[in-house]
Amino acid sequence: LKLIKSRELEKDEPRPLYMDFQATTPMDPRVLDAMLPYQVNYYGNPHSRTHAYGWESESAMEKARKQVADLIGADPREIVFTSGATESNNMSIKGVARFYKAKKKHIVTTQTEHKCVLDSCRIMEAEGFDVTYLPVKNNGLIDLKQLEETIRPDTSLVSIMTVNNEIGVKQPIKEIGHLCRSKNVFFHTDAAQAVGKIPINVNDWKVDLMSISGHKLYGPKGIGALYLRRRPRIRIEPLQSGGGQERGLRSGTVPTPLAVGLGAACEIAQQELEYDHKHVTVLANRLVQKIMAAIPDVVLNGDPDQRYPGCINLSFAYVEGESLLMALKDVALSSGSACTSASLEPSYVLRAIGTDEDLAHSSIRFGIGRFTTEDEVDYTVEKCVQQVKRLREMSPLWEMVQEGIDIKSIKWTQH
Amino acid sequence: MAASAAVRSAVSLTQRFVRVSPDCSICPLYRLNACTGATDGFTAPSRRLRTSIGVCQSGDSSSPEEEERVVNVVYIDRCGQRIPVQARAGENALHLAHKHGVDLEGACEASLACSTCHVYVSSEHYEKLPEPEEREDDMLDMAPMLQENSRLGCQIVLTPELDGMELTLPKVTRNFYVDGHVPKPH
Repeated sequence: LKLIKSRELEKDEPRPLYMDFQATTPMDPRVLDAMLPYQVNYYGNPHSRTHAYGWESESAMEKARKQVADLIGADPREIVFTSGATESNNMSIKGVARFYKAKKKHIVTTQTEHKCVLDSCRIMEAEGFDVTYLPVKNNGLIDLKQLEETIRPDTSLVSIMTVNNEIGVKQPIKEIGHLCRSKNVFFHTDAAQAVGKIPINVNDWKVDLMSISGHKLYGPKGIGALYLRRRPRIRIEPLQSGGGQERGLRSGTVPTPLAVGLGAACEIAQQELEYDHKHVTVLANRLVQKIMAAIPDVVLNGDPDQRYPGCINLSFAYVEGESLLMALKDVALSSGSACTSASLEPSYVLRAIGTDEDLAHSSIRFGIGRFTTEDEVDYTVEKCVQQVKRLREMSPLWEMVQEGIDIKSIKWTQH
Repeated sequence: MAASAAVRSAVSLTQRFVRVSPDCSICPLYRLNACTGATDGFTAPSRRLRTSIGVCQSGDSSSPEEEERVVNVVYIDRCGQRIPVQARAGENALHLAHKHGVDLEGACEASLACSTCHVYVSSEHYEKLPEPEEREDDMLDMAPMLQENSRLGCQIVLTPELDGMELTLPKVTRNFYVDGHVPKPH
């Protein structure tokens, strides 16, 4: 990504439109309002049991815990505050695997998970566990039959994310949860992109562990939560040792302002979930239909129905993704996910759904959220169509295709 | 170990003659100033003259029906030493440990308010124990170094089918005794 020169905006330069809601979201002003008093006025440590500063801080933290629990249909005692979904994912995978390692040595996950899940699984492999990375079908969904066959008697954990951050595909979590419960295997889902966007109920879905990220649902950055079922109880080996806060599972002072922010964001999300979903669906359909009507050879990656509408990953054939991003410099977009943008490899998620390498390099992710307007979508579409046409004019591959040559038959020489 | 063995034999001798309160002056632990000072219903005239760990209860009964209710339990303490004890059905694993000088701390005295009596139960006997109630699970959550076979000692009531059970003490409890301090039983 050295091609996109990073530099700060000039003084009067207009800011680009933000269309990257999967990377992060702006904080809702109502969340900021809820957090501010806890930064400068009610600043006590919630674990101080001996004075009012501690008590008021603790009651705010517990209120936030209840707000988070209500959004996912859980009991407040089942929520542990963490520093984000990455920490929650690490705690789940490493914690469950290490706790039950006496008898259970196998972990199942998918090839399209977030990097923190995959990296944790690789570390567990190095510690002596067996990990199966399930392939996905071309639409991005896992095959339930294959999952059932993969589960062994010594499987301790199945980890499958609810909504994918790169292609927006929504996995059949309820069916997976029931399957895992019937086989007595713990089920973890990384719901960072799903919480507050689609209705979630951990009891209907029979989920045992769930990771939640604050800054994906218009909350503050630096806070997240982990849901751990109490009945039947799941235990984990804690990652962070210390004074035993958060039921001994995650020691360390809980950052009250951030927790309050997360709670407020969850409450707002619960109230506005239906409206937001409708808003995002309308805008997403508008974007996709307009682009597809204007230019040919555009592929929507991921299942068209089983998805969260706000995450649209389009591959523009015969156009290089990075150059399109540079051309669209007044819209903030990404190709692949933010966490993969620093490395040079193309997206492994797109590779997993069977996208050819050339198409994988040409993909752009459009993120639509609560604050996106119709004008922003229209502007993005217009610019995108214009730039794709321009880049295709310059593209030798496009020329060849227009002349009728089959690209796949060309033998490229190796340098 | 030799000292506690000596106490056990010495005090059981004392039992036969003294019903109400033991004579601490003959107890080797007291004389060596190493008495851990537990009392089981005895109040001593001064703080330093506390009775030693409740061995001073009537412990022997050799009637035939009682024989069937004998439960053999082995405690493996934090240093790895095996301490086999004989108990009767219905006894509580924490109190039993205190009776025999096993340093299982029971800070809240079996009221389900702490996790200091956390023990690992031998796997064959773990399934035979009844399911923990929610309050026990909640307290157990707070104990460090939990394993699948963890239970709170104060909630384990001995039954004849638990004969041969081994209770291993974890290396640490929630209280930080990194200086080697051993808490006195209450």
